[in-house]
Amino acid sequence: MSFDWSVVWQHREALLAATGMTIALTVATMAIALPCGLIVAALRLYGWAPVRAAATAYVELFRNLPLILVVYWAFYVLPISTGLGLSPLATGLAALALNVTAYNAETFRAGINSLRRGQTEAAMALGMSRTQALRRVLVPQALRRVLPVLASTWVSLFKDTSLVSVIAVSELAYVSMQIRSQSYRVLEMLTAMAAIYWLLGYPQAKLVDWIQRRFAVTE
Amino acid sequence: MDFDLSVITEHWRFLASGIGITLVLSAVSGATSIAVGFVVALLRLYGPRWLRPIVVLYIDSMRAIPVLVVLVWTFFALPILTGLTMPPFFSALIGLTVHLAAYVAEIVRAGVESVRPGQTRASLALGMSRAQIVRRIILPQAIVRMLPAFGSLLSITIKDTAIASVIAVPELMRQSETLAGQSFQPIEVYTFAMLVYFVILFPVTRGVDMFYRRVAHLGRS
Repeated sequence: MSFDWSVVWQHREALLAATGMTIALTVATMAIALPCGLIVAALRLYGWAPVRAAATAYVELFRNLPLILVVYWAFYVLPISTGLGLSPLATGLAALALNVTAYNAETFRAGINSLRRGQTEAAMALGMSRTQALRRVLVPQALRRVLPVLASTWVSLFKDTSLVSVIAVSELAYVSMQIRSQSYRVLEMLTAMAAIYWLLGYPQAKLVDWIQRRFAVTE
Repeated sequence: MDFDLSVITEHWRFLASGIGITLVLSAVSGATSIAVGFVVALLRLYGPRWLRPIVVLYIDSMRAIPVLVVLVWTFFALPILTGLTMPPFFSALIGLTVHLAAYVAEIVRAGVESVRPGQTRASLALGMSRAQIVRRIILPQAIVRMLPAFGSLLSITIKDTAIASVIAVPELMRQSETLAGQSFQPIEVYTFAMLVYFVILFPVTRGVDMFYRRVAHLGRS
């Protein structure tokens, strides 16, 4: 049994580009899923009854499906149903965004619901409108409760980007496995892939712990 | 867009075997993860001091590495290292257990730490040993409080078994992929798979929530 770790160094540029793609996917997905999640949560809380039901159905559906299946489904169904020839990257991004939006919507809804009713009533009694109460009283408090959950969703998302490798998006998992099959250095490449994920993910996991301690709500 | 369900009815045995393996893999890896996770958590809380940093490193590493990477590594790289080849099902079982046990350990730790320290002091005052306190006083209360978290863990386990399709475990996701490729009807097959996963997962999350509401009073102190 002999190992040749030089294969990892030889492919450093490809691995670096793939790592960049993993990070870009994470950032782009969250950039879409934050505003969309907020909209879905608002529709679910304050929308017209049929809209509310549709928003609830969407959230429950995507929270109860394996993401890898959503990725495959988007890859085959989106081009046929929309008539657009989407690239794997756009498809992967859409699947990730659909998934994370549902989780974020649930996070925002729980954050707003966790505030006691008296807060809205007190704001109204002071003569604020519904929108004012929402913007000035509810959202600032909800954000504090929501931030730790969003932080752990972020770490899950960072890890879940590896699943779009099944539709050949050239992120870290896909590129590492491609190099593995070309070079036959299986153990070296897979270990390098795990190490890169670890190097990026470990500080993020620690940061989440810190955020959770920092913003812990004590009543 | 035509929707032709004959592909599902014609190959229902093939798909049903996939559903069976999804359920078996979920149940077995759920059980092993909980067992291993309990041991890991107890080692972290009450184990020898030198062992704790190692346990913490393991838990945090599993929170940092995608489950896909763990599964692929266990299936392709571990046999090279050990010289043992394993069927995909066992690789998936090992990979999922190693990954999920870290999450279980965090749930158990949070549950145990939520029991107020006064309870331990009271039990010590009554002359109980450390092991007795953990077994008789802390765990009975902590386990009830862990239930909602175990419910979401169970649903995560079922969802993670779909990732085992990447290492060719013939569970529902893999069978759907194969059938979609052979029949050229990916829309019908994947939509059916979505329906099945939803029908399995939705009652699990709801059921655990309802069960917890019934027994929540047992965990209060």
